[in-house]
Amino acid sequence: MTTATGSTSSRLQLNNLTKDFGQKGESITAVDNVTLTIEPGEFITLLGPSGCGKTTTLRMIAGFETPTSGEILLDESDVSRLTPDKRPMGMVFQSYALFPHMSVYENVAYGLKTNKTPNDQIKREVAEVLSIMSLEMLANRAPNQLSGGQQQRVALARAMVMKPKVLLFDEPLSNLDAKLRAQMRIEIRQLQQRLGITSIFVTHDQDEAMSISDRIVVMRNAKIEQVGTPAEIYLRPKSVFVADFVGRSNFLKVSGIKSTGNGRAQVTLNGKEIEVGASADAISSSSALLLVRPESIKVEKSSSTVASDGFTEGKVSQVVFYGEHVEYTIETQSGELIAVVSNPVYEEIVPVGSVAKYSFDQNRAWLVSSDK
Amino acid sequence: MIILPLANILVRSSETTGIEVFKRLLNDPVTQKIFQNTVAIGLSVGAVGTLIGFLLAYAQTRLQFRGKKLLHIICLVPLISPPFAFATAVIVLFGRSGMITSDLLGMRPTLYGYPGLLIVLTTSFFPVAYMNLLGMMKNLDPSLDEAAASLGSSKFRVFRKVTFPMLIPGIASSFLLLFVEAIADLANPLVIGGDFTVLSSRAYIAINGEYDVPAGAAYSAILLVPGMLVFLVQRYWGQKNNVVTVTGKPSGQVNYVKNPLAKFALLIIPVLTAAFIVLVYLTVIFGGFIKILGVNNTFTLDWFRYIFSGIGNEAIFKTTLMALIATPLAGILGMILAWLIVRKLKRGRELVDVLGMLGIAVPGTVLGIGYAITFNHVLKWGDTSILPQLAGGGAIFGGATAVIMIYVIRSSPAGQRSGVAALQQINPAIDEASSSLGASGFRTFRKITLPLIKGALLTGLMFAFARSMTTLSAIIFITTPDTPILTSKILAEVDSGRYGASFAFCNILIVLVLTVMGIINLLVRGKSEKVQLAPQT
Repeated sequence: MTTATGSTSSRLQLNNLTKDFGQKGESITAVDNVTLTIEPGEFITLLGPSGCGKTTTLRMIAGFETPTSGEILLDESDVSRLTPDKRPMGMVFQSYALFPHMSVYENVAYGLKTNKTPNDQIKREVAEVLSIMSLEMLANRAPNQLSGGQQQRVALARAMVMKPKVLLFDEPLSNLDAKLRAQMRIEIRQLQQRLGITSIFVTHDQDEAMSISDRIVVMRNAKIEQVGTPAEIYLRPKSVFVADFVGRSNFLKVSGIKSTGNGRAQVTLNGKEIEVGASADAISSSSALLLVRPESIKVEKSSSTVASDGFTEGKVSQVVFYGEHVEYTIETQSGELIAVVSNPVYEEIVPVGSVAKYSFDQNRAWLVSSDK
Repeated sequence: MIILPLANILVRSSETTGIEVFKRLLNDPVTQKIFQNTVAIGLSVGAVGTLIGFLLAYAQTRLQFRGKKLLHIICLVPLISPPFAFATAVIVLFGRSGMITSDLLGMRPTLYGYPGLLIVLTTSFFPVAYMNLLGMMKNLDPSLDEAAASLGSSKFRVFRKVTFPMLIPGIASSFLLLFVEAIADLANPLVIGGDFTVLSSRAYIAINGEYDVPAGAAYSAILLVPGMLVFLVQRYWGQKNNVVTVTGKPSGQVNYVKNPLAKFALLIIPVLTAAFIVLVYLTVIFGGFIKILGVNNTFTLDWFRYIFSGIGNEAIFKTTLMALIATPLAGILGMILAWLIVRKLKRGRELVDVLGMLGIAVPGTVLGIGYAITFNHVLKWGDTSILPQLAGGGAIFGGATAVIMIYVIRSSPAGQRSGVAALQQINPAIDEASSSLGASGFRTFRKITLPLIKGALLTGLMFAFARSMTTLSAIIFITTPDTPILTSKILAEVDSGRYGASFAFCNILIVLVLTVMGIINLLVRGKSEKVQLAPQT
């Protein structure tokens, strides 16, 4: 695949990548046997809580850490023993890491000067990338004269001007405010699609991961927990951990799990048998929970003053009004449920202390394994 | 370079006369008195100097008054001056026939001994405590004070319960620094100590007067013990310090003390100190141009003529030359050590740090004696000589190698410390960014790291030069006829009572130090200007 800048997209493969950090016999495995193929031009996000190994994985790809075992193949050739300066990869850092003693122009030109690109070519290429990033006006500014978003753009321009085969992002948006963050992730995504550069993005922000990625890799305790598209990760999570990490969740206790084939299972919920979609792990496991997202739960006012049927009615213990949606906390027989009703109607908002009827469509429920 | 001389001191001090010194320490009242004197002067200089340094730092950070900047500069002056400019000027001003005490007030006090030494050492070294505490107090987050005040604490209570506890590590480390500086000093005890003998001056007399090297080594070995102890304790405190100083950028408004009475009370000592420094320096400066200060106050250039016509010339030239050779070496050594400690070494960084800092932790007298007994002969390993004679008369380059080595060792720790501090401020991601853009480790160091720690390098270089030019205690034991040292010449002039000549020497020394500092500043800053210029696009 040929991209707009003329470079060819690359495939990146991680084979049984492992990293132990150890001193004197005591070692901690930061990345444990990670195997993953990133297709040419693909945008992959490593998502997980802090300490899950996502940053270490990225740093091994960049060359800042040496793998304890395993290999990193870039277009079939092993780069895992090369120093960072020998790898055709660009990195955007969380702190941007702009060189404070150089102007924007010099920052972007630094890599080209290092590899001894002819001067007129440097000028041309830097000017081109600055214009792509709308930074022409800032070329002579020092980094400390730029806003966070501008610094972010310079960091991206500096990495991109080298026409890297792989772009690496280490939580690059976490220092920006929420609004700018949303804007920058769209910009990064558009640019990446236009140039078709294989990209790996590390974040602990699930919104960011969902909105920017072709595929998400959820990591947990140094291992890959699940790989999938944003929709798969959100709607068909493999485990309670994944479901909990992306979005908010209600988990209902079910019994009598029986596979009905085609990735579906029959379960007993509150004495009633229903058929739901299920992850493979959940079908084979003895303890599974039924995931119902808060936005899947319908809430209505009830005429009764006492929650007579605890499985369809409950007492509203908290109501938070957000404008575009209302969030309820309902006390039920199955525990506390969170329900989000979007686009609320004034008259239909259920007040705190009164009884609400709740229900959900079984097609919107999903059985996950509860193995911790 | 440091370990070997120290080891030699221990070896030599175990010879007969050295052992006797250790024995006398246990049962001879005279030797015990020397030890007590040393500890007493160390403790009192530490306490008084820290108090003055604290008051000054407090005034700088929490008071608003006119001449604040001036006060700051005046208080830094003692850092770059030759050590006995003070002692001599104080004798002239306040001595038995001093201009102020005798001529103005008609008193005839005895200044020689403990009181004079205390005054002189305190004034010479308090800037160390001042700088140390000033740095800490600037880093204290004013919002902590505000928080405490908003919880209903009175101003004094805030100070007592919040500010002061956070400063305890800084106060303790200042005290310890001054303690070591005070007990290690040799010049002032020689000039103003009188009968009040301390270990360093006793060691000097043993070696230069009695030619008893083992005894001198033994005295300096005793001196080494509290010095090293304090160094280790200070490192421990220093690490605890981090909790306070690395809390990030201060936010919020400093709560200035406004009560005029409190302001007056807090300012009185700082202002008196500054006035004292100014008075002393004026004495030094004018003293060089006046026949005999206080006796025959006529203007004269005789002292300068005397210096420039005699051996002064050679001393000035050679000392400056040796200091100029040592300065870049010390600066670069300091930066490389800092870089190794912060960036490169995963293991053993503690050890490298300690070894690098030993240069100032070891009292100068001890280092000097160590060098004298180690390098005044060809160094042999078995039968093969590994180093030619570096120190003393008849050594290669007339002994200049050893002098330069001491200059480097004594002055690189300052660069190392400021380099470490500067490097710790730089996000390692900046180095990584450079290497991910294809730059080798060396290119990264040259293009990214070095320009960013330029300020630290500058401090390191200026300090190295000033320190080299003004040091005496370590050098006096290895100076040779071929390597006349300016500071030891000044001492000789003081000894023979030609105060005017010594003042003239001091003037030349101060001018030299300031000039070279200015040139270093221009050189390092000038280069950076070029880097800052952005090319036209």
